[in-house]
Amino acid sequence: MTSTSRGPFPRLSRRVTALILSVLVLYASSVAQALAHDVTPGDAGYIQEIWGVHVISFIYLGAKHMVTGYDHILFLLGVVFFLYRMKDVAIYVSIFAVGHSVTMLAGVWWGWGINAYIIDAIIGLSVVYKALDNLGAYQKWFGIQPNTKAATLIFGLFHGTGLASKIIEYDISDDGLLWNLLAFNAGVEVGQILALFVILIVMGYWRRSERFMSQAVVANVIMVGLGLWLTVYQINGFLAAA
Amino acid sequence: MISSTFERMRDAMQFNAEKPDPAILPTPKQLRRSTIAAVIGAAFIGVGVYLPAEYGIDPTGVGNVLGLTEMGEIKQQLAREAAEDELIHGDQSSNLIDGFLGLVVSAAHAQEVWTDTVTFTLAPDASAEIKLVMAEGDVAEYTWVAEGGRINFDLHAHGDGQSIDYDRGRGETEGAGMIEAPFAGEHGWFWRNRDDAEIMVTLQLRGAYAEVIETY
Repeated sequence: MTSTSRGPFPRLSRRVTALILSVLVLYASSVAQALAHDVTPGDAGYIQEIWGVHVISFIYLGAKHMVTGYDHILFLLGVVFFLYRMKDVAIYVSIFAVGHSVTMLAGVWWGWGINAYIIDAIIGLSVVYKALDNLGAYQKWFGIQPNTKAATLIFGLFHGTGLASKIIEYDISDDGLLWNLLAFNAGVEVGQILALFVILIVMGYWRRSERFMSQAVVANVIMVGLGLWLTVYQINGFLAAA
Repeated sequence: MISSTFERMRDAMQFNAEKPDPAILPTPKQLRRSTIAAVIGAAFIGVGVYLPAEYGIDPTGVGNVLGLTEMGEIKQQLAREAAEDELIHGDQSSNLIDGFLGLVVSAAHAQEVWTDTVTFTLAPDASAEIKLVMAEGDVAEYTWVAEGGRINFDLHAHGDGQSIDYDRGRGETEGAGMIEAPFAGEHGWFWRNRDDAEIMVTLQLRGAYAEVIETY
């Protein structure tokens, strides 16, 4: 059984998995370092120096926020992990986009700033939830399969609230706020499509490998771990700040 | 051995998905094409968008057309200033001389109620600092107007190892208020012109302060 399911290049594919994982970890740590600065340079510093409508700048900032937002990317990866048809990918990603757009725009417009640590902890849990869902944990533990589309929408709403909390911290000028906000939201979707493009290429190669299904177990278990790590990290941050 | 563990885990977990049918997966040829497209796209985004927007480096001119080079230049400028601030330890203002055009300071004793009037002109992207040397508990009053454009400011103070941010604004044309010094030190404004045209600022002062320091 073990020997028959082994692919033609077992060592190679394991090495590829290891490479992908270490790239992910490196990427996450570099993003975390970039977040550690508390001075006003960078995106926030730029935003606090300008006023008026800057559509392209805010599209760029939205896209950058998404592409460097490892928690959003992890959740997206979890959502598309077992979606083999482009049609399904489009449906689920659209549901996620609707969810996070609603709370992002409404949240900034009406100033629903939720504590960034709390919302980021919930976003960490969304990664845990989706990875467990991929592993079939709910069927095994509770004998039920929660609706995956509903979950994507609900977690999309939480991700949008997280985006809103960050944007409120950016302190965008009231002068031009609506257009800049819409541009930022459009940028988030652009960033999501760019990230998805890369994810689907990597997944495309991976899915063709004979060992995909067994490596998928490891990958989703690691995603549960990363999601838990994000959650604990944010809760610690909340406790330290309180 | 590791792989057999995975097999057992897989059987135990009973996945929430089927093994993908190769017929619905992208073919290796499609994947190769997509990879090439992604690499080319990444190169274009890197050179045409990322470098201008983050570093103000714009070899193709695309960043300038999109208005992103300005963002990169502002970010680089802020980063330099933050680094300088850290070096100087925040006890002295940074040396900002670029683009300053002219300055007239008149210690206008004759002006009815205001003790000092400071007038300065800033070219686009130029900045200036006007600070009042105040003792703890001193109160100073101010009013200012900007002509020719809209200006950004940061009204703050440092001294005695302490610092405070009183007020910030962007795209403003006038302001008025009081500074009540909670500690001895330099209390005043950092001004920057982020507008497209030259701006003249007229600042009027009165109250308790030892001197006015201007850095351009």
